[in-house]
Amino acid sequence: METKIGIFLCNCGEAIRNIDFAATKEEVAQIPGVSCVNLSSNLCLKEGKEKMISCIKEENIEKVVVAACSPEFKEHIFRQVLEDAGLNGHLFSTANIREQCSWVHDGDVTGKAVELIKMAVNRARLLQPVEKKKFAVNREVLVVGGGFAAINAALQLSRVGLRTTLLEREAILGSETAELGSLCGFDISSMMSEVEGDENIEILTSAEVTAAAGKIGDFTVRIRKGGDEASHKYGAVVLATGYQTKLALESELKSDVNIVSQKKLCRMLENPNLEIRPRTIGFMFDFSDENSRLPTLATLNNALAAKQKWDSEIYVFCKSLKVDGPGAEKLYREARDCGVVFLKCEARPRITAGNGRVKIEAKDVFLGEDTILACDLLVAEELLLPSEGTEALSSLLNIRRDSRGFYQDENVHLYPVASEKKGIFFVGGCRGDLDLSRVLTDVSSVVVSVYELLSSGNILAEVERVKVDPQKCVACLTCIRVCPHDAIQLVRVDGGKEVAEVFDLACDACGICAAMCPAKAITFQGYRDEEILAQVETIEES
Amino acid sequence: MESKNVLVVGSGISGVASALELANAGVNVYLIEKEAVVGGHSASFCCKATDVCSRCSACVVPDKIREAVINPRIRLLTNSTIKKLSGDLGNFRVEITQQPRYIDVEKCIACGLCTEVCPADPKAVYPPTVEATPFCYILDEALCLRFKGEKCDICRENCPTRAIEFELKPKEQELSVGALIVATGFDVFDAKEKGSLGYGRYPNVLTGLDLEQIFGREGYLRLSINGKEPRNIAFIQCVGSRDEDHGYCSQVCCKYAMKLAGLIKYQSLDTKVTIFYIDLQTAGKGFAQFYEEYKESIRFVRGVPVEILQTASGDLEVRFEDISQGKVCRDTFDLVVLSVGITPGKNSWGLARILGINLADDGFFDTKDSLSSNETNVDGIFLAGTCQGPKDIPDSVAHGIAAASKTIQALGGVASQRRGNHRGH
Repeated sequence: METKIGIFLCNCGEAIRNIDFAATKEEVAQIPGVSCVNLSSNLCLKEGKEKMISCIKEENIEKVVVAACSPEFKEHIFRQVLEDAGLNGHLFSTANIREQCSWVHDGDVTGKAVELIKMAVNRARLLQPVEKKKFAVNREVLVVGGGFAAINAALQLSRVGLRTTLLEREAILGSETAELGSLCGFDISSMMSEVEGDENIEILTSAEVTAAAGKIGDFTVRIRKGGDEASHKYGAVVLATGYQTKLALESELKSDVNIVSQKKLCRMLENPNLEIRPRTIGFMFDFSDENSRLPTLATLNNALAAKQKWDSEIYVFCKSLKVDGPGAEKLYREARDCGVVFLKCEARPRITAGNGRVKIEAKDVFLGEDTILACDLLVAEELLLPSEGTEALSSLLNIRRDSRGFYQDENVHLYPVASEKKGIFFVGGCRGDLDLSRVLTDVSSVVVSVYELLSSGNILAEVERVKVDPQKCVACLTCIRVCPHDAIQLVRVDGGKEVAEVFDLACDACGICAAMCPAKAITFQGYRDEEILAQVETIEES
Repeated sequence: MESKNVLVVGSGISGVASALELANAGVNVYLIEKEAVVGGHSASFCCKATDVCSRCSACVVPDKIREAVINPRIRLLTNSTIKKLSGDLGNFRVEITQQPRYIDVEKCIACGLCTEVCPADPKAVYPPTVEATPFCYILDEALCLRFKGEKCDICRENCPTRAIEFELKPKEQELSVGALIVATGFDVFDAKEKGSLGYGRYPNVLTGLDLEQIFGREGYLRLSINGKEPRNIAFIQCVGSRDEDHGYCSQVCCKYAMKLAGLIKYQSLDTKVTIFYIDLQTAGKGFAQFYEEYKESIRFVRGVPVEILQTASGDLEVRFEDISQGKVCRDTFDLVVLSVGITPGKNSWGLARILGINLADDGFFDTKDSLSSNETNVDGIFLAGTCQGPKDIPDSVAHGIAAASKTIQALGGVASQRRGNHRGH
């Protein structure tokens, strides 16, 4: 039996004047399968929509074609009308007879309008419904890491009612955070006692991930703790593994009492029994790596503290100060006001050590001449690197990293905290150099994203928007390789053959796999070859 | 449930991000916007891709706005401002004033008949910009003959959907909401304040925003005075940032200037581009590589010029201090682009007074403490985006989502307390 197609024409409040609607109506009514044609002047308004619904119901229309304005403009309204009339929203095709027809031509364009409608009808005939289904999801969350970002993430997740496992590689939580706390002036102990007393948070220390599988809502992660290894199920995974720093020093130099890291300097500043106070301190940053926001902040904070506590002479050597973070410019001014000297150099200064002093030779661009500074202490340039194990964990979870090795691709279409794989998120230093308030912003955005996914225990998603024909699939793995969301995997079907299967929840309906499949085994509903070809053939015929 | 409504003030990218996130979490949102169209500044930025994406994030904005406008949980009120606020976390009452726009958004089908028949010159009723959302025609009171006392109602008579209505007064309404998110954004620094740079006097001095809009509209760059392609362009950084009045870095100018410069170089390789700067802010995901790629083909000069003069031929003479030679130099350009920064919104002060929230020294809204960037001194009022301090598009989105998260957590706390009390009774 022929599919019943209903055509709804709209003359846009009679604003489309170069189309003869009476003639169009007559002509498109002849198309096989078209059971009714309606003309309206305000299809997108309440009255028009109501008429459309009652017509669909009365005539038992199965597929709908709307010939009106650009789908950019009102398509969502018409899809809703279909749903309201009890039809699947995907059984809808549109012919843009306003922006792409009436408005771009002078003179009568009835002929073109009729052709556009014919194309839409021929496509509509082949459309298939896409149903929605509720998928159950696991409400447990795994947070990897035990630092500032991880602890805050677990606490906030608990606040919205989600149970969390905190997995830390070290023997205790927050070993690095304690130093951070004293540096930035917040109370780490209350945060620690809160996380330890929270019944929604399970803490696993000296533990690590050894294997991971599954998709959003249903991840299976193998965790090794001590000698034991066990599998756990989670609905989402949050990575908060932080970063590490490495001193960027010439090969003949090494860190000692005169050449220190920012962290070492912090400890010296906190030590009330320090024997000798350094009288001259040199700082260096922004020569080997452009990503020096955190070294800039650390230098400014430490330089100020050293000025106050030791009243040292301080010289800062850098290429550019990275002040594009909250409060950085203010700190920079403060430091200058209290006498810290900033020397900007295009080339990396030469450093030599000997006789308990460090010599820094640089060409300062402002003075335009060579400068030599002999200092008691050099706070060396630090490189920010992904923490150990970042690479291993990213390959276990099959997620991409950026060109510096940190988590998250440089794709602007991703939320800053989201991975390309649904259900896996990043917070804090493991995705780039972020100051603490940005880390907290990350934490909050991850918490709400995870809450939306898991709080109700199930997710409503479209089923089989992308379909694989197991007969045609030759398991060439092309789709698995190109899928940016890791939503396709091989499964064994009856007869022992392996074929690709799309996991609906993880699929983002981008259509790349359908376009790439060499065997044409994958189809993307709404854009199947038949549907596109049916439109092309319509033009050929005329 | 009253506490389940949230008011988002401002519909730029961070307000939209907040609203969408709340709506997706099942919260009903009123999204109010003082202008007639949604999107704020972010909607007017152009794509800066060459043959590869330059990751400027401008393309993320229209999709988000569209998604927000069609979301059934988000009620959009354009031309609206807050008049008064009372109550506290969980039950705020907000009085809103909505200025009439004379054309009903629900009824306007953008057919264009009104513009066609309007007798005023220039036309008093016209379409919004191409990318505007909602795409509803705009009736300009200042131009309309009817508002000048004449008895004209030709557009109303001709409107097929009867969307035009003249006899409208500002509409007052009171909303009950559990919490508010302030996302009122920023103002672009007015380059005229730096008189010596000649913006507004010399036609070939443009701002970065002007350039964004020219590329957005035309796709290429021509000089307004002779229609020719500029051959020698200077970008001046930190105009309205890091100076006596603005003690902060605007965080976006180095990025947009270098990306626009990259686009100019891509379109015409022999156009010379010079960037005058104080410190280059080249940190950030993917941006360091971008800098590496362009640092040979763009001339970078340390130090920001203080004066621009126009020569007899219409070119621009830029006076700057050449640090390497230690003297004042002159260089001639046919186009100078001022990389204007982010300044606090002019209406922030008024809004801060109505809502009872604090302003920081630099004029942006102040936060409760230095670490939390979303919370204000009032429980239940949160900040999102550049109204709290300069941010680029991805940071604004993240900040908007974080504000939504804080709101949900605060309202969740209220709800569980109420449930607790209920059990207690």
